[in-house]
Amino acid sequence: MQNTFSSLKDILVSKLKVEPESVTPDATREDVELDSLAIVELAMVLEKEFGIAVTDDELLDTENIGSMATLIEQRIAAV
Amino acid sequence: MASFDTAVTGLGLVSPGGVGTEAGWAAVRDGRPTAALDPALDGAPVRLSCRVPDFDADVLLGARRALRLDPFTQFALVAAREAIADAGLDPQTWDGARVGVVLGCADGGPGTVEIQHQALLRDGPSRVSPLLLPMQLPNMLAGQTAIEFGATGPNLVVATACASGATAIGTARDLLVLDRCDVVLAGGSEAMITPLVMTGFARMGALSRREDDPATASRPFDAERDGFVAGEGAGVVVLERAADARARGARIRARVVGHGTSADAHHMTSPDPAGRGVEAAVRAALADADAAPADVQHINAHATSTPLNDLAEGQVISRVFAGAPLVTGTKGVTGHLLGAAGAVETVLTVLTVERGLIPPTASLEMLDPRLDIKVATTATRAPVELALSHSFGFGGQNAVLAIAAA
Repeated sequence: MQNTFSSLKDILVSKLKVEPESVTPDATREDVELDSLAIVELAMVLEKEFGIAVTDDELLDTENIGSMATLIEQRIAAV
Repeated sequence: MASFDTAVTGLGLVSPGGVGTEAGWAAVRDGRPTAALDPALDGAPVRLSCRVPDFDADVLLGARRALRLDPFTQFALVAAREAIADAGLDPQTWDGARVGVVLGCADGGPGTVEIQHQALLRDGPSRVSPLLLPMQLPNMLAGQTAIEFGATGPNLVVATACASGATAIGTARDLLVLDRCDVVLAGGSEAMITPLVMTGFARMGALSRREDDPATASRPFDAERDGFVAGEGAGVVVLERAADARARGARIRARVVGHGTSADAHHMTSPDPAGRGVEAAVRAALADADAAPADVQHINAHATSTPLNDLAEGQVISRVFAGAPLVTGTKGVTGHLLGAAGAVETVLTVLTVERGLIPPTASLEMLDPRLDIKVATTATRAPVELALSHSFGFGGQNAVLAIAAA
């Protein structure tokens, strides 16, 4: 989980140019200023980087960055 | 009828001369050409361009904001911010509902389109960015400017090809005449130096092919000119009714006192060789300014360095003005900024009028012998009470602005 969270954080910071200090497990997507377009971008990057299929709707349903990392971790385990 | 008096109270420029009005002016005043071989155009039929040097969007706009903007919007936001500060206006406190935005561009964000089209062909639809449309649509130029500065008044983008920037300023003036708003951020921006677009221009035969000597490739009115060199960047002015500007104690840098516009109705790319549309736009601008040809001391010509434009334009100038005004072609330095050109050249003309210094036409070695006009080849001190800025677009769309001293 910790590893997946830091990978997600790396992606948010390097690919979507989110401020690193704003990315915490408790932060909501509003806190890190990810609008619906950015969530579609994120889904694209996750597919590319991790080879997982996760939809923008699934990402929009997560409560915070921490639960987003959990969802990604589950998908990676299922590959 | 007395002309309607609009004040230019702020200037912003992002040009091949550099980021900022003074950097751009210095390059033009000194006649320093900016054209160079462009590695991004390797493989294209012509590799010449005039890029904006040292434009770091991450630093200027913040990386998160910059990531989601095509360069044509990035240039405009930086130029608009400079113009607003120069006008002494504060977006935190202004009445945004009375602030309009009218900007011009010829083509929106073709660079974004090309990158995403490649992703579609290479990797399929799931790899196409959701930002494709919000980044590339031409209207986003004005939309993003409204978002950035809280300008919630009239908001539009105009497209008259290479006259777009001048059309935007003329249209902005009309909004002020009609009292639609009190302040307009007006100008143009362009980022069209992409492999596909530049190949298209090359296939039209519009570009200079002087790759062996890039610095002299853009040579307005020269006998040996062979086409234009594309540039990129943005010019933005803050326009207000002159009475309002005086009432708030703003520094008036110059005034836009006339706007003339016309269509050639002749050909999709070639100018009317008789220059009838151009002449109509010039005469309309003079009439709007309540001025006669003899009142004009200076013309910032469209002067693209293409064989056809410069001949037709130069002949109109000698016919209408009888050789009196000192003409300059600043594209010899900046290259042709396409939809931004008219706005950038309005900024340069405002500075010319304000400072009484007519910039040179870089790389003009021998005037086309068919022309009988006076062209500045060195920076020339001269009082300028009234100047014209010419802009003519593909499709025969013409826009001329009359700019008077404050």
